[in-house]
Amino acid sequence: MRDKIKKLLQQKILVLDGATGTQLQKRGMPQGVCPEAWCLENPSVLEAVHVDYAQAGADIVYSCTFGANRFKLEEYNITNVSQMNEYLVRLAKRVVAGKALVAGDIAPTGRFVKPFGELDFEAAVEVYKEQVKGLLAGGVDLFVIETMIDIQETRAALIAIREITDKFVMVTMTFDGVRTLNGTDPVTAVVTLQSLGADAIGCNCSSGPRDMLKIVSAMKPYATVPIIAKPNAGIPKLVGSESIFDMEPLEFASFAPEFVKAGVRMLGGCCGTTPAHIAAVSEKLKGTQPVMPVCQSVSAVSSVRKTVVLNKDSFSIIGERINPTGKKVLKEKLKQGDLSVVRTMAAQQKEDGAHLLDVNVGMAGIDEAKTMVSVIELLSVITDLPLVIDSSNVEIIEKALRLYPGRALINSISAEEDKFNKLLPLAAKYGAMFVLLPLSSKEIPVTADKRKKIIEGLVKEAAKYGFTKDDIIVDAMAMSVSADSGAAVETLKTIEWCCSDLGCHTVVGLSNVSFGLPARKWINAAFLALAKEKGLTLAIMNPAQAGAEVDQKAVDVLLGKDRNAAEYIANFASIKNKEKEIVAVSESLAQDKVFKAILEGNREEIKSIIEEARALGVAPSLLIYDTMIPAITKVGERFDRKEYFLPQLIASAQTMKLGFECLRKYIKEGSLDGEKIILLATVKGDIHDIGKNIVALMLSNHGFKVIDLGKDVSAEKIVSEIKKYKPAVVGLSALMTTTMVNMKPVIDLAKKEGLSVKFIVGGAVVTKSYAESIDAGYAKDGVDAVRVVNSLCQ
Amino acid sequence: MNNLIVFDSIPISVPKDRVYKRLGYQRDKTRLSSRQRIEIEQYIQDSLKFIDLKGVAKRIVIKEKNNFEIIFAQDSTFESKHLAALLKDCCEVIFMGVTASKEIVQQIQMNSSQGDLTKAVVFDAVASEMTDVSLDWIMNYMNQQLCRENKTITRRRFSPGYSDFILENQRVLYSALKLDKLGVTITSDCILVPEKSVIAVAGILERVKGQGTRVKE
Repeated sequence: MRDKIKKLLQQKILVLDGATGTQLQKRGMPQGVCPEAWCLENPSVLEAVHVDYAQAGADIVYSCTFGANRFKLEEYNITNVSQMNEYLVRLAKRVVAGKALVAGDIAPTGRFVKPFGELDFEAAVEVYKEQVKGLLAGGVDLFVIETMIDIQETRAALIAIREITDKFVMVTMTFDGVRTLNGTDPVTAVVTLQSLGADAIGCNCSSGPRDMLKIVSAMKPYATVPIIAKPNAGIPKLVGSESIFDMEPLEFASFAPEFVKAGVRMLGGCCGTTPAHIAAVSEKLKGTQPVMPVCQSVSAVSSVRKTVVLNKDSFSIIGERINPTGKKVLKEKLKQGDLSVVRTMAAQQKEDGAHLLDVNVGMAGIDEAKTMVSVIELLSVITDLPLVIDSSNVEIIEKALRLYPGRALINSISAEEDKFNKLLPLAAKYGAMFVLLPLSSKEIPVTADKRKKIIEGLVKEAAKYGFTKDDIIVDAMAMSVSADSGAAVETLKTIEWCCSDLGCHTVVGLSNVSFGLPARKWINAAFLALAKEKGLTLAIMNPAQAGAEVDQKAVDVLLGKDRNAAEYIANFASIKNKEKEIVAVSESLAQDKVFKAILEGNREEIKSIIEEARALGVAPSLLIYDTMIPAITKVGERFDRKEYFLPQLIASAQTMKLGFECLRKYIKEGSLDGEKIILLATVKGDIHDIGKNIVALMLSNHGFKVIDLGKDVSAEKIVSEIKKYKPAVVGLSALMTTTMVNMKPVIDLAKKEGLSVKFIVGGAVVTKSYAESIDAGYAKDGVDAVRVVNSLCQ
Repeated sequence: MNNLIVFDSIPISVPKDRVYKRLGYQRDKTRLSSRQRIEIEQYIQDSLKFIDLKGVAKRIVIKEKNNFEIIFAQDSTFESKHLAALLKDCCEVIFMGVTASKEIVQQIQMNSSQGDLTKAVVFDAVASEMTDVSLDWIMNYMNQQLCRENKTITRRRFSPGYSDFILENQRVLYSALKLDKLGVTITSDCILVPEKSVIAVAGILERVKGQGTRVKE
């Protein structure tokens, strides 16, 4: 049947059915019941829906099993999952056999699968297998996995089907705009799912035909399989408090030719569509010839949210850092099960320009299988870079491939028989690309010619499993030039041959080439430049070094022109550090620099700028009163005019504070006496203190001595500190309505104790009228607080 | 219908416009030098290393309601005129909870008290906005699920502490959503810890009562 459907798709556009749920409701199904159970109790209603769609021209009708998985049925206390699926398929077959094919409908379980939820991946696979068996027992002609938003749950359903049957499988995801809610874009959905064995891919629900056209058009350049579209009857419109779909059948069908042009070969309808819509589509498509895919294979790897397409004109970096070899901290952390370093390394490598991340956690003392799973789960969530599964252990590679929610790249499969015999079927099953390592069990080939033979043999083996050259990346085997001066040349020859003769992409482990030499980055950079020139597609490297300059002396080493790298080593030894540029500045320029640093919030340089000014003889008082205070005042004015926003205000205030600290050593002891004391606290019960800290910073920059009591401070503690420090003003902060009420008891207690101190209050929920009601001043922000405290002090 | 849906990782991007706006940025007024912009953008990126968005959602049937209160199947009651108005046409609600993780809160506190206050306020804004956008994401998710039932979700949601829906209601919602499973605790003052955690309530509406979709045939 799979081949029959594939053949049919070469000849015509297959029409799919429309919405079932709303049809059932229209024909009497009440709200709140289990649709599948209700259909079994009222079979004639469902039969009529199926018949109506078949008569409307649908070539395929979906069994009414959308929610017939264990988790969904449990909500209605139904446990006979398999039987229910079987009966519902039989019911459909009974009325449409000979007129339409019946697709066993599989949909989300309603739970999120790891790493995005708490449901174990294998548990999800088992739940779907249970349903698949029931659908098969009912006699489905094909399967459809539909309305999916989570690529991992979709993978679980697809793997469940593929592990039981080779029937035709359609997969459609639901896109909210240009991505599914879980962040998967149309290209990534196509690349991931077609490689995993889906026979047709597309989208359903969530959008009307106009928006869905954009999604299928994005899929077309990368789809090697037919594309499916099942749009809603337009976009829901709000009428009063109700939203309705109102696109009429003829308008709906008018989009059919555009769908065909965009590569759609299976077209139907979703929410809001009726047999009339499907009849209109069927009529519109009569005699329409399908448009065949533009590509037969795609060289691309994917994560949940991103696809990296490899082609001859682009170069991609595989970040090599997630590998404990030679990294003591990473090794120790992995041993403890602590993935914080992995998290940081992934973020850093992405920032440095990596396109893919290599994951290798194999090392003595580390549980490789467990760690690989944890790292993949983590990276799948925190980064959008596709992963390269790097292990010498076949079982671990399988575990990783099964769990990885994208199309992975395996690093690597060699020509060692016991390895490729196990790994090629695994790579094929999970649709992974792989790095072909031209190593045989007999030798490590040194010359390009010997490597070519091994490569050709392994490419031929891979073809038996359905791999094309687009699925393979050849490791051109970079080896150290310090051990063999001709090594780099052989690697370059291998790259050139793969690129121009064989037609495969290439990769090298870049740093291998410089092993044993000093200043390795020059050799690495030069080799990378030469290899790119020959057509290198990828390099496994530290992405931070990707932009290194190319040194001609390093190039000479690589081309075998510098025997034993003698000149390179001699030249390296003579390099001296460049002298630092010294710029003389005038006294007034020095003050300008301090002013500008505060305006710019330049915390990194303020201390050196102050020291520079002092070295030129600028007096501390001149810096404070004529430069820094005018600068921070200007910042306050800009903040008031909204020309500055909060981070700028704070950065400037922090810069000012650092400047003060730097100047303190030049100011005579006691000259700053007379500073007024301000006591600050977040009141009892409240744990928020960022606003209070901003106020503290602003006040300290305006000559106040701030005593900060912290957060969640009781009235008793505040009053006791008032007695101790005798502040001019006490500032109280609260963020929540429930804690704001704790301000008044502080003020009341202070009064009761006979303290005449003034209060200022602030915080997100505090208002001026509330402040007045408790006899306190009010400030809306840090700049305002300075003004209010100044006025309270007068 | 009372199953708790757990979202172990909510896949949203940083809503940068909202972060800037929260910090007081005004497109037509605020001037930012390239150095300042680079610094703030870097902080936004840095904050993501510590933000781990998790959430839960639960559908609850409304047992009774009037203009002042809503009573749920488990007999918990919310007194709020504004919430009652929002849920006027609803027979079910969705309770939702989201947390941005304790790590980001620790980073905010550390930078706020002893390190870099500028970084702290940017981290704080990113965490707050991402938590809020996560609730939007859950509502979107629920809407997609409800589409099949010919239902939709109210556009607005209410959080305890908003308007007359008092903060003390947080305790009932916290318990219904089992937020302790996400590592969230609640203080005696009804504050969620870690601080960047939010609870909300939205209503479920039927698209067109009892008729299915209104499409002319």
